[in-house]
Amino acid sequence: MDQGLNFIGKSFKRKDGPDKVTGRAAYTQDIRLPNMLVGRVLRSPHPHARIVRIDTAKAKALAGVKAVITAADTKGIKHGFVETPRYPADQSVLAQGKVRHVGEAIAAVAAIDEITAQRALEAIEIEYEILPAVFEPEAAMQPGAPEIHPSHPKVAMKENWANIGGKTETGWGDVEKGFAESDYVREDRFDCQLRTHGYLEPHVTLAHWEAEKLNVWTSSMGAFVKRAKLAKTLDLPFAAVRIHKSYVGGTFGGKIDLYPHEYAAARLAMITGRPVKIVITREEIFQAFRHAQPLIIEVKTGVKKDGTILAQEMKVINNSGAYRGSGVVVIFLAWGFTMTAYRIPNLKFQGYSVYTNLTERAPQRGHGNPKVRFAIESQMDMIAEALGLDPIQIRLKNARDAWEQLPNGDNTHQAGLKDCIKIAAERSGLLAKYGQSRKNPPADTIRRGVGIGISSYMGGTLIYPNGSGVIVKMNDDGSATVLTGAIDIGQGSETVIAQIVAEELGIGMEDVRLISSDTDTTPQDIGAWISGMTYVTGNAARVAAGNAREKLLALGADRLGLEVSELGFGNKSVFAKANPDLKITYRELIAASIATKRGDTVIGEGFWRTMRDEPAHPSLATAKGRWTENYAYSAQVAEVEVDLETGKARLVKALTVHDCGFPINPALVKGQVDGQVSMALGHAFMEEILIKDGYVLNPTWLDYRMPTVHELALSEDVDVITEKYQVGKAYRTKEVGEGLVSGILAAIGNAIYDATGVRLHSTPFSADKILAGLRKIERQKRQAAE
Amino acid sequence: MYERPVSGLEAKTKSRSRVIVLSVNGETHEVMVRPRHRLIDVIRDQLNLTGTKDGCQSGTCGACTVLLNGRPVLACLTLAVDCDGKEVRTIEGLAENGQLNKVQEAFLDQGAIQCGFCTPGMVMSATALLDDNPKPSRHQIDKALEGNLCRCTGYNAIVDAVLQASGQGGVKPVMK
Ligand code: FES
Ligand code: FES
Repeated sequence: MDQGLNFIGKSFKRKDGPDKVTGRAAYTQDIRLPNMLVGRVLRSPHPHARIVRIDTAKAKALAGVKAVITAADTKGIKHGFVETPRYPADQSVLAQGKVRHVGEAIAAVAAIDEITAQRALEAIEIEYEILPAVFEPEAAMQPGAPEIHPSHPKVAMKENWANIGGKTETGWGDVEKGFAESDYVREDRFDCQLRTHGYLEPHVTLAHWEAEKLNVWTSSMGAFVKRAKLAKTLDLPFAAVRIHKSYVGGTFGGKIDLYPHEYAAARLAMITGRPVKIVITREEIFQAFRHAQPLIIEVKTGVKKDGTILAQEMKVINNSGAYRGSGVVVIFLAWGFTMTAYRIPNLKFQGYSVYTNLTERAPQRGHGNPKVRFAIESQMDMIAEALGLDPIQIRLKNARDAWEQLPNGDNTHQAGLKDCIKIAAERSGLLAKYGQSRKNPPADTIRRGVGIGISSYMGGTLIYPNGSGVIVKMNDDGSATVLTGAIDIGQGSETVIAQIVAEELGIGMEDVRLISSDTDTTPQDIGAWISGMTYVTGNAARVAAGNAREKLLALGADRLGLEVSELGFGNKSVFAKANPDLKITYRELIAASIATKRGDTVIGEGFWRTMRDEPAHPSLATAKGRWTENYAYSAQVAEVEVDLETGKARLVKALTVHDCGFPINPALVKGQVDGQVSMALGHAFMEEILIKDGYVLNPTWLDYRMPTVHELALSEDVDVITEKYQVGKAYRTKEVGEGLVSGILAAIGNAIYDATGVRLHSTPFSADKILAGLRKIERQKRQAAE
Repeated sequence: MYERPVSGLEAKTKSRSRVIVLSVNGETHEVMVRPRHRLIDVIRDQLNLTGTKDGCQSGTCGACTVLLNGRPVLACLTLAVDCDGKEVRTIEGLAENGQLNKVQEAFLDQGAIQCGFCTPGMVMSATALLDDNPKPSRHQIDKALEGNLCRCTGYNAIVDAVLQASGQGGVKPVMK
């Protein structure tokens, strides 16, 4: 880290902390407007049905009901998580003709109060013709399965599978040759449960039509994406849609893209001329909203005796739910997460996104990476054991180096993966502990185990709006007002941006005030959903503050009669480097400028876009095109405890060694690490959405268990610093908010094996599965003895 | 004697509504509630104290935790009529003369806040614990916070904050 930095690399308290700890922070659910109506959404009770008839007359006639809308009241404009020529928009804002999952939005009402709104929903008459439904992707793929949508034409041309929403097919080299040359080849299949995001704040939207403009407050992770989708589906100019800032109570991937209630609140507000607020219940979220992406992963790997990977073949099947959603993205990402961690000379990758009669999917922190790493890292350990290698050796053998050119044209830059692995091994004493439980089992029934998993993650890529702008306005007293579209969803973006601006301008943290996430008053922003905020918006803030600083320095040069190159800055002043006593404060400079220079206001502007020369994001179908310029790497070690009697396992300790470039705010980074470890242990042991015939059986937190304080795991982290920050220079931070749910999940699986000898191929690692595994080992032992 | 006919609306209101008296953060309020109203409805909708959060409406997340006569309760599971004559403290009522209480300070110092949606409930539970037991053990902290979900922090910094607030464990502020 550069010496002489005053703000970067320091753990400043959150800018929004005081508001949040006193209850002042206004989240969308806290905002209300005069004359406000209550909105509610009518949802499908069937997993798959044709809508034969809808009659809203009775609902409309109820006293206190101000508007009822169905698909007939929309412009019929479709939208989609992905909208490309290959994958055009495929979702209606309200169901048109057919419903494809339980909970699909069909109609919405606005009424004077909640009870009236509820009565209105009940008064809407709908006649359905029930259609056969299918919920498992491998069943849905079979020719002759109930058709949810026709298979994608490009796939249907070559393959006979049903319900294929999209396919990613890519690779290089010659896998058959690679397998033929391998000393050891193994094939495994992994799968996982359906999980949800678990943001504490429910979805809420408030919309109001005023001054020829739609004003919207909504719990989201990217205001500019929301504006684009609302403007499109409502057929309004962008200038007629304003997304306002409100505090956001957690997202984790589940609040991007457009949701029907957001459209409905907006449309109902436009029809009634009154503000309409729709608060979604927790049960609705479980039953009808987007969850994560369960993947089935088949992986075949061939290696040399020394563990070097020669070839890998991957098949990934995604249960994408009723629409394309982010399903066609996750099959692309599964390839990306596969190829970036280990060197694979020959690869064949196929990913299928398959429609089923469940809710469409959203990204969830890690977007497929936990499942990919779980598969690959588990298999790595199995291969290592078969070859008599240790888990560290085999990983170091195959780990990507710094400055490696990747097959897609990306470069790993200063990738710290090998350092991460080495430090993780040393810090945890993994090699001394590994295998001990199995070699010398203790007398009692508690077994300890240790395991490692590595991962990589992209940081920011090209997704609408691709880049971020920031404006820094200097005030007369030398303080700065920063306009940024960034949204603080808890990660601390406002604090980080303030640190960067303070550093670049030489002013205090208390001198920086932000106006953020408002589509009318702040510049466009990439949003808090593709792990690029600190890199993309942060660099834009750096450029904007630098731009303001240059203007101040020019004014200073003028006043002090020196060249700009002879000047330094700090403490809200410009000074002569040769004689720091010769100085002038920003306040004085701005006053002088107003008096003598017509007061050209000092405003800095900055813009940043990752991969400036790339026209667009890579092809989701072929993976061609560059993906990111910022690969983050990590190695994580889990220590677990398993009770052989009950089969219950728990994470005792997690070590995360990560390369995030450098931390702008180490305490915020630590917060991300701890949160991800906790989320991963929820994935590993607790969380599962149970579905029967398309209905969620456990739509409450009572039955969908998330980690509580009792599940707190010790979480240690080490930052492998590979980049640095220099004032006035572009910097490269790498992401730290998503990738770290992955290696640790795999590490937990490997640690359970280490503790017990039970190798699990599916998550969650439930007591049942562990007990079954233990019994199997006993049986095998008995058979061997007989 | 002539009796004025009672309108349907009046009949409804008269028969089911009643006035209760609450002391909220030291201020006395008279509010009109119906039997179905919960404490959270009164706090958030009638008194406009929106610091108390609504995460699940069903007693499973702890975001709505407030103190009723000093004890933590879930405002979404507490009937308003049962609070008649009682003292309620919400997150807005913790700071005195603009001075945050030591739990609030510790949450800021330890980085125990991310999205902040669990924070009010979490701070209320922790405050109740320390009011009752100034030096709780780690186990007692876990018991006191077990009903408060946090999806962001993994609880590590939250537990550190409670330790700091109770002057235990040598936990130093981690943030400037
Ligand atoms: S809102 Fe009361 S416990 Fe969740
Ligand atoms: S800080 Fe977000 S839920 Fe606790």
